[in-house]
This record gives sequence, C-alpha cells and structure tokens, in this order.
Amino acid sequence: MITSRTAVVALSVASASAMFLAGCSSNSGSGDGSGKLAFIQGVSGDEFYISMQCGIEAAAEAAGVTVDTQGPVKFDPTLQKPIVDSVVASRPSAILIAPTDVAAMQAPLAAAANAGIKVVLVDTTIEDPSIAVSAISSDNKGGGAEAFNAIAQLNPSGGKVLVISTDPGISTADARVAGFEEAVAANSAFDYLGVQYSHNDPAEAARLVSAALAKDPDIVGIFAANTFAAEGTATGVRQAGKQDQVKIVGFDAGPAQVKQLREGTVQALIAQQPDTIGTDGVEQAMAAIDDKPVTADISTGFHVITAENIDGDGAQYVYKSSC
Amino acid sequence: MSNQTITPSLEPLPPGNKPSRHTFDLVESLGKLARVQVFQIVLVLAAICLVFSIMAPGSFPEWGNIRQIIQNVSILAVLGIGMTFVIVTSGIDLSVGSVLVFSGVVSAKTMAAIGGDGWGVAAIGIVVALFCGLCWGLLNGFLIGKANVPPLIVTLGTLGGALGLSQVITGGVDIRDVPPVLVDTIGYGNFPATTVPLISSIALVLVVIFGIVLHRTKFGLYTFAVGSKEQSARRVGIKVDMHLVKVYALSGTLAGLAGILSLSQYGTTAIAGQSQTNLNVIAAVVIGGTSLFGGIGTMFGTVVGLFIPAVLQNGFVIVGVQPFWQQVAVGAVLIAAVYFDQRRRDAASRGQSPNSLKKLWSRGT
Repeated sequence: MITSRTAVVALSVASASAMFLAGCSSNSGSGDGSGKLAFIQGVSGDEFYISMQCGIEAAAEAAGVTVDTQGPVKFDPTLQKPIVDSVVASRPSAILIAPTDVAAMQAPLAAAANAGIKVVLVDTTIEDPSIAVSAISSDNKGGGAEAFNAIAQLNPSGGKVLVISTDPGISTADARVAGFEEAVAANSAFDYLGVQYSHNDPAEAARLVSAALAKDPDIVGIFAANTFAAEGTATGVRQAGKQDQVKIVGFDAGPAQVKQLREGTVQALIAQQPDTIGTDGVEQAMAAIDDKPVTADISTGFHVITAENIDGDGAQYVYKSSC
Repeated sequence: MSNQTITPSLEPLPPGNKPSRHTFDLVESLGKLARVQVFQIVLVLAAICLVFSIMAPGSFPEWGNIRQIIQNVSILAVLGIGMTFVIVTSGIDLSVGSVLVFSGVVSAKTMAAIGGDGWGVAAIGIVVALFCGLCWGLLNGFLIGKANVPPLIVTLGTLGGALGLSQVITGGVDIRDVPPVLVDTIGYGNFPATTVPLISSIALVLVVIFGIVLHRTKFGLYTFAVGSKEQSARRVGIKVDMHLVKVYALSGTLAGLAGILSLSQYGTTAIAGQSQTNLNVIAAVVIGGTSLFGGIGTMFGTVVGLFIPAVLQNGFVIVGVQPFWQQVAVGAVLIAAVYFDQRRRDAASRGQSPNSLKKLWSRGT
C-alpha cells in the first residue's frame, strides 16, 4: 500500500537524518559525565566567544577532557535557557557559561549547581554568582584606563578628551567609562569633557561628536566604547574635517573593529583576552572537579592594538573566527 | 483553493477507531489512524524520541530532562493556542512576541510602581498584562476585520509598534523587579504534590479548554468557516468581521498571559529577547498540521508541533551536535509538513473530499 509506504519512508528519513546529524557530534554523548565539560556561549558564531572557545578547547585538551560547545543563535535568555537545561540533562562535570541575562539565567544555573555540576561564569555574570565556583571576566575598569593610556600615547601633549558610550546601565560599558574617568583625572595634561550616550546608533554618535566638536574644536581624543559608537564617532569627526587632529580609540578586536583600524577609522583598539578567560575557566573548573581550591573572581587584562602592531605582535590578540 | 468543508475535522482520534476484538478490524483501524496527518506527526515525534533515547539512554529519557522540555515549551504553547485560531481563519499573527514583551514591560512597571512582593500586587500585574494583550489583539482585530488591511501587514506593524513602545517605556533597559511569588510559583514551582511544572499545568489547562472551544463549540465552527471560505461564511450569516476581531483579541490576550508567564520564568522583561518567538510558534502550528490557507487545523497538532523542535534541540544538545543543525532539522520538518498540506489541498481541489484521507494518500502527484 502506497500510503503506509509514504509513512514508512518519512519515518525512516526522519530517523536517519537524526542519526546522521547525531553522528556528526564530536563525542559519543553516552551520558557518562566523567571528564566532560560544556561551554555555553552568549551567542554562537561571534568572534569573541569563538576565541574563548579556542582557549577552552586548548586547555581542555591539555587537561585530558572533552568539551562540547553550544550557544543560542542570538544573545537572548529565552533562547539560552532551553540550551542550559539540555546541557544540564547531559550531566557534564562542569559548565562554563556566558550568561545572557543576570536575572533570567540565575534559576537555571542554580539548578545546574544543585545537580552537582560545577558552574564557571565567563565574561558575563548573574545576580548571585555565589552558586558558581568561579567568575572570570575582563577587568573592564582597567580596559577604560588602558583606553585613556592609548589616547595619551597618541597625544603626548595632552588636550580635551571625550567618551562616547552606548547606554547607561550596562555594567561593562559603565565600568569602562569609570576606568577612563579615573585615569584621566590622574593626568593633569588632559581635560575630560564627560560621557555621551549614543544608544548603539552610529547616527546618534555622529551627531553627538559633531556637536561636541562645535563646542570644543580642540578635542584631541575620543574613546568609543563599542563598534557602533566608533563608527558614528569617526563619521562625526570626518564631517568636522578633523580626522588628523582627533584620535579615536575603540573597544574589542573583532573583524569589524580590525577593519576600522586598518581603514584608519580608529587609531587604536583595546582588545580583551577571551582565550585567556577560557583557559582560566577550564583551570578553575578542573580545580573544582578535583576538590582543589578555586579562585572566586578572576580579572583578565587587555592589549592595545594599533596600526603599527596589527601585522606584528598585535595580530595574535585579534579575535578569531575559527580555532 | 476552495472545496474545503467547514467541519472542524481531523480529530486526533476519529470516532470509530476503537481497537476491535477482531484482528482484522484492529489492523484496519490502525491503518486509518496512520493516515491522519496529526498522527503522522506524533509518529515523527515518537521516532525522534526513540532515536535520542537510544543514543543517550542515561540522560535523554529521564523525567528530569522531559520535565525541562515541557517547561520550556509551556510559554510557546500558550501563544500557540491563539495562533492556531488565527491561522485556522487563514490569518497570521506576527506580533505575539512583541505583545508578550510589551505586556510584560507594562505589567512589571505597574508592579514596581505599586511595590510589594505579595499575591495582591502579582494579581494586579496579571490583570494588567492580560489587558495590554487584549488591547493589542483588539487593535489587530479591528484593522484586519473592519479596515480590511491584510493580517501580515497589520501584525508586522504591531510587531514593531509593541516592541518600540516597550523600549520607549523602559529606555531599552530591562526591568528585573518581578515579585518573587511569581518566580517561585508560576515560574519555577510545581503543581502541588507533583513534579509537574506549574507553568506547564497552566498551559495544559488552557490547551484543553481552547481545544474544546475550537473543536466543539459554535465559536470554533465559525472560526473554521471563516478560514475555509470567507464569502460562504458571510452568506450563511456569520459576522465575519466581528469574528476576526474576537479571534485576534484572543490571540492578543493569550500573548499578554504569556507575557506574565515569561516574566515569572525569566525574572526579567527580556526586551531584546523573544525575537524569534513568533516564527517558532507559527512553525509549530504549521508542523502540527494546521493549514496556512485556513480551514484546517487541530489544537492537539499544535502541541505536538511545539514538541518536535523542542525535543530536537534538547536531544542535539545532549548528544553534542552543533547548535546550527537544529535549525536545519526544524526547517526540513516544517517544509515537509507544508508539502503534505499542499498535497492534501491539491487532491481536495480535484474533487476529492479532504476527509477521505485514504484516497488522498494513495494518490500519486
């Protein structure tokens, strides 16, 4: 009977494809949790998290354990929670995770910790990080200070400086601004004009920078706290025809930011060290599994990438799109 | 695209399929059963579950894992109820995810303004969320039913409108002041004396109630009638405009309820989240056998359609498959479901009764 044949064919295709896809997996996933780590990215396919994954995989290989990497397609807690739940069901020894929301990921990760899985927070954090054995992130305040140092190096004689951030209330961005403010306050050669918020909109950043340059035509440096802020800042500076006078320092070193650096849109990048975050994360996870002492909070450093070192020793700090 | 009956057909288990004492009857009944589309979807789901159970026997078939899958499907199920009604009328509602966020935002703002952590403030929050959802639903309904703007455009507009207003209200910063009673009971609590998540119990009760409404009441019959042939529905005296308003209002109100459920589950308004929710719900409804052309669909199918992507994702994560493959697999299931729907419709337009599934399935294209 054709009818049942159709159904049988449909079923076999479904099962076969599930088998095939499952066969693509890097490990057998037998449910045996010994020596198995899981890494849950904030969003899959992002160079920052891929670089972190590279660090994690290298450290895991050195420690003789396997690691499975999963991530939601968007930086979205409603997409990340089901993945966390599923990873918990696969019972790894430890989970390294970049939580997408401080509140939404609290309960699922607490459940993981209750199930005896060691949780290590990488990059981002949650409301009550005490359920995790360790939290590792960039020292964003230090990053802000580093950004000011880069501007100071590009303008040894000092002058007026401005910060273009994204939105108030984003902890990492606020910490970067605070670090920048402290550093500029310690250097009497520079005059701090304050922080403006571009709401992640390059056009808004351009307007802010144009207005700031109209008011203070002698600005020598602008710290743009993210990619969009940097784009808009560069536009505003070009509109005022002051690209030789104003030095722009951007944050992060993904392909978009490196392109800006090569094009001369920005003069320096403050690169985080996602691979070090990953390596440290695996170290802490392994220590927790072996009941050795762990460090609750770890801050990682930064590297300054400029047009001079991008093809030299700065190249290794550019975020990777594959390991 | 015309010869559809207006009966709320395709019950998951048609009457007369009770297993008989005679083996022959039993075989024949099972054969009939296998030809109902909803049942085929159930078979696909069962096959997927079986494969994963074999591959990860120690973790996939555990109750703890199944419980998580059910919990994660619950909010989508509440949205899926409204979406099933909407799609049965041959409409679409793209705005559910944004209305969910908007309702959650206004509700969270209200609860924060009143202050307190008790059930009193939570109850006000629930009412506010439902009201917000109802308002957006009525707006959709009036524009579609009375102003005759196509549903795709109306709900695309309200998708942007509701999300934009949520960002205006909050300045784009998530609100995380959710009364703990909501998080501890609805969000992560269990139905008393069981380990069934309370949020899933709520979703199940609603699915059953609205399943009955869709398949056993005049309201449901009118919904199928409007979706099968609007002109005919008008001629037999159904107030099609008002019925569409009601259906979209229902979808909006359920999105408002989903807003409070989401607030309880995540403890945050997650404004930037829920961006894929509308498409996930539509995909589930369609996988479940509801026709995008209207007039055909079941509530049971929607529930099964929700579980297929959820189980695939869960299983893939457990066995360690790259996350991108899940989307490929769901996409394939979706296209297959619509292909079978199209075949059914082609056969129907050639003069065969769409209920005569035996003829339909045994006919080549």
